[in-house]
Amino acid sequence: MPLPAEFRQGLRDIAPLALGVALYGLAFGLLAAQAGMDGLQTGIMGATVFTGSAQFVAVERLAAGATALTALVAGIALNLRMVLITASLRDVLAGQPFWKVALGVHLTTDESWALLHATRAAGRPAGYWYLVGAGFGVFAAWIAATVAGASFAHSIPEPRALGIDFAFAAAFIAILRGLWRGRRDAAPWLVAAATVVALRLGTTLEPSWALVAGGVLGAAVAAFGGRDV
Amino acid sequence: MSEVTLLIASLAAATLVIRLGGYYLGAALPQSGPIARGLKALPGTLITALVTLQLINGGVNEWIAGAAALAIAIATRSLPLTMLAGIVTIYALRNGF
Repeated sequence: MPLPAEFRQGLRDIAPLALGVALYGLAFGLLAAQAGMDGLQTGIMGATVFTGSAQFVAVERLAAGATALTALVAGIALNLRMVLITASLRDVLAGQPFWKVALGVHLTTDESWALLHATRAAGRPAGYWYLVGAGFGVFAAWIAATVAGASFAHSIPEPRALGIDFAFAAAFIAILRGLWRGRRDAAPWLVAAATVVALRLGTTLEPSWALVAGGVLGAAVAAFGGRDV
Repeated sequence: MSEVTLLIASLAAATLVIRLGGYYLGAALPQSGPIARGLKALPGTLITALVTLQLINGGVNEWIAGAAALAIAIATRSLPLTMLAGIVTIYALRNGF
């Protein structure tokens, strides 16, 4: 069966982000090696868990000597925002059989999800196979890079020295530019940003909770302050 | 079973449940009205929160690089160019050019 055109389009569009994922993946591989994981374990974890930030935090806990249970709780806390991400995939996944829903949500990451919404905001077609194509690009980059990082831990430069850690902040700024729908987005986005600033500077709340609170409060402003369009 | 194997298996299962749960939760919610408007606004507010968090965790260098990336994003609407502008700026600032 030939791959749908949207799969290939998603794969092409995700390429610069997949490069960023690969560099981040090398860094994860280094950490996994420090936690005593080999290339095979790292690859299996990447393929089955497939969430960069949660894997990072869970394996960092393990490397710091925590039990598997503590590491699991940390990883779950970081992953809870995925509920919000897959909840906004209704348009793409509705009416699909279960295996396609499961495949779609498993391949969904911050990057492929944000790209999907930015592409749609630009008025270009982006449906199920676009999501899967973009997700597959991230998946392939993540597995290859994390396995390489864990296997060749000794000969890789520290990503922060190269400025690579900033690649995602820049990518999300570009995606925000694409998502901007005009002035009605101003208040929700401002509330989201202000919530994160207040919670991070004013409380000792975990960063991932500040993130979820910011996203939800901003969306609540859009929900109760706006009209249907 | 080793700690690593236990962690991989349990985190993989929990993550799939979270991902599927989010979708079915979103699908069960009403298709119009406040909840639908909120869900529609969620990508923008969540990414705004994410970028804000990344910038707070950084310092002046990150803020300048973020401003440079934003300027390029507004001017070009190009993902690769914006990423390039951000990385080049942060690299230059950190290495004292």
